[in-house]
Amino acid sequence: MQLDWQAFYLDGRSAVRRPATVQLQPSALRIVIDGGDTVYWPYESIEQTQGSYTGEQVRLERGAASAETLLLSDHGFLAALHQFAPARAGRFHNPARRLARIRLTILAGVVSVILVVLAYLYGIPALATAVTPWVPIAWEESLGALAVDHLAAPESRCADPARQRILDDLITRLSAAVPKSPYKIRVLVVDNPTMNALAAPGGYIVVFRGLIDAARTPEELAGVLAHELQHVLRRHSTRLLLQHVSTGLLMAALFSDASGLASFGLDAAQNLALLRYSRSHETEADEEGLRTLIAAGIDPIGMVSFFKTLQQKEGREPRYLAYLSSHPNTLERIDRLKSLIAQTPAARTKPLAPETLTELRMICPALPRKEKTPTN
Amino acid sequence: MATDSSFSPARAAEGPNAHRFSFHGSGGSLFGIQIVNLFLTLVTLGIYSFWGRVKVRKYMMSQSDFEGDRFAYHGTGKELLIGWLKAIVIIGVSIVALMLLSAGALVYVVFAVFMPVAVVNARRYRLSRTSWRGIRFSFRGEVMDFFKISIMGWLLTAVTLGIAYPIWQNWRQEFLVSHAYFGNRRFDYDGNGKDLLWSYVLNILLSLPTFGICWVWYWARVQRYYSEHTRFGGGNFHSTVTGGGLFGLMFGNLILLIITLGLAWSWVLVRNARFFLGHLYLDGPLETAEIMQEAQAANATGDALSGFFDLDFDLG
Repeated sequence: MQLDWQAFYLDGRSAVRRPATVQLQPSALRIVIDGGDTVYWPYESIEQTQGSYTGEQVRLERGAASAETLLLSDHGFLAALHQFAPARAGRFHNPARRLARIRLTILAGVVSVILVVLAYLYGIPALATAVTPWVPIAWEESLGALAVDHLAAPESRCADPARQRILDDLITRLSAAVPKSPYKIRVLVVDNPTMNALAAPGGYIVVFRGLIDAARTPEELAGVLAHELQHVLRRHSTRLLLQHVSTGLLMAALFSDASGLASFGLDAAQNLALLRYSRSHETEADEEGLRTLIAAGIDPIGMVSFFKTLQQKEGREPRYLAYLSSHPNTLERIDRLKSLIAQTPAARTKPLAPETLTELRMICPALPRKEKTPTN
Repeated sequence: MATDSSFSPARAAEGPNAHRFSFHGSGGSLFGIQIVNLFLTLVTLGIYSFWGRVKVRKYMMSQSDFEGDRFAYHGTGKELLIGWLKAIVIIGVSIVALMLLSAGALVYVVFAVFMPVAVVNARRYRLSRTSWRGIRFSFRGEVMDFFKISIMGWLLTAVTLGIAYPIWQNWRQEFLVSHAYFGNRRFDYDGNGKDLLWSYVLNILLSLPTFGICWVWYWARVQRYYSEHTRFGGGNFHSTVTGGGLFGLMFGNLILLIITLGLAWSWVLVRNARFFLGHLYLDGPLETAEIMQEAQAANATGDALSGFFDLDFDLG
């Protein structure tokens, strides 16, 4: 076994490298510097800072800031060291273990991928579920009020006290069917022909006039309100926000050193994740909304027939757009709801008075028309 | 020993005094490091990321060589963590203070002030943790000086509608290079922004017709100019990068990244290092016996701040 090795010695005070011979000894390295002294380096005082990669010179340092350094170009030195003094060679890289290192790296990679997938599918939703209850309702209400100011500007709201009461009574009936919640549910109607309704944080539900016009029975409207109510009660907007932030943090942790091209991909990945979580919230709102209708004694078929109306208005929606949509495919929603209704034992339902809808249709001021219609 | 490089015969040709740089790293090894970093960062919920960053810097530095000896990086994850915490506090306190004073718009002013601080301190930190043959580099420029340069440069550029930009950048380069030391020896810079002015204006005119690609050639020219005017120990550096070579590098990187959906990032980093270092050499005497250790203190707050501003750091 070769005990003497050629090296260069740096004294840490000048940039001159001096040839030296290094000899392996039981507890230290004996270094004979050409034209100079002999120094002893006990193994415990040496730190190997370079030499773990092929072709890289082995760099041994001793001392703190202005360290003395030994540079060896032959990795055989390391192998010999491990053979000669195995008990003390722990702090030095062992070239024989390079293959093991590659295997460990591959293992680390596989486990990382698994961890990321698990975090995406379960971890982040679980985290959001755990943290959401801690978000104060007051914060949600402020955020909701802000959002509503934008989405339903005060001048575009339909304020008709008598008809508003019909809406509020309907909400009260639905709320009675669910466990008591700290939210004050406020329903607003906006004078806009869009066929839509949405729930803002903190208990605000915004219904657009177009949706009221498109509903064929009061049960359909009740179905939509039940769905939106569930969004509020389950704090979906807060959960979505937390999921969005967590996903962002995960991405940042994964790719903290990347920039440019990679971060563009990250943005896209984050949005896809957001849409996926959003779809799961929609499904939850559908299912729980249906149960709320049944518990409130309202015929759940209204929800299904409303989606059918929606589907007709949407037309054909290609399947592959599913991943880019914040809502599940309407046909899927209809099928899911139908099978849910089939599974639930027939509940006692009382049909809603048809006047509910006809009255609500007039909550917004009538559009100015050419021929004047007498209003009472 | 010639102190003026105009005495050396053909500057462009490599003489016996040419001391080369090279890069030996491989994309595969770096990728392995990144994967392990990823794994450890995930299981430590992000805390390991500082140590991971140090590993990458150590690898890139250790695989860079000058005259047969490798560079070394001495920073630690702990330093980066502490620097990051301090940077968070600084930024956080500033933002809160601004909000309390209802001066939210001043955020941009505050950040504009932090930028020069971050640049100078990051450079000071990185250089102090870099060594060659055991001798540490250092940066001894003051933030105030850089601040003045930034303001004057910005004003000059604004007043000339952007035409004087090369002059500002040259002032900046002069500051960054001429306050850098290797051991007890200072680097020097003797470039003049005016030399690049015509090239800059020409490139502005060519931007539209070439869809901006002409700037790659400008960037190569700037690299060569900055290198040539950076002096050390009686010699000066040379970069032989060409616009064509640089374009080939960038285009190749783009294709690689697209094909691998970004996974080839490690290979891109290695390719870039190999390209820039491979084209660099020092032309002049290298009196290593006269270079003494003169390590300077520095902390990593600036490094963390510059991380927040996404500033690029380049050695030399």
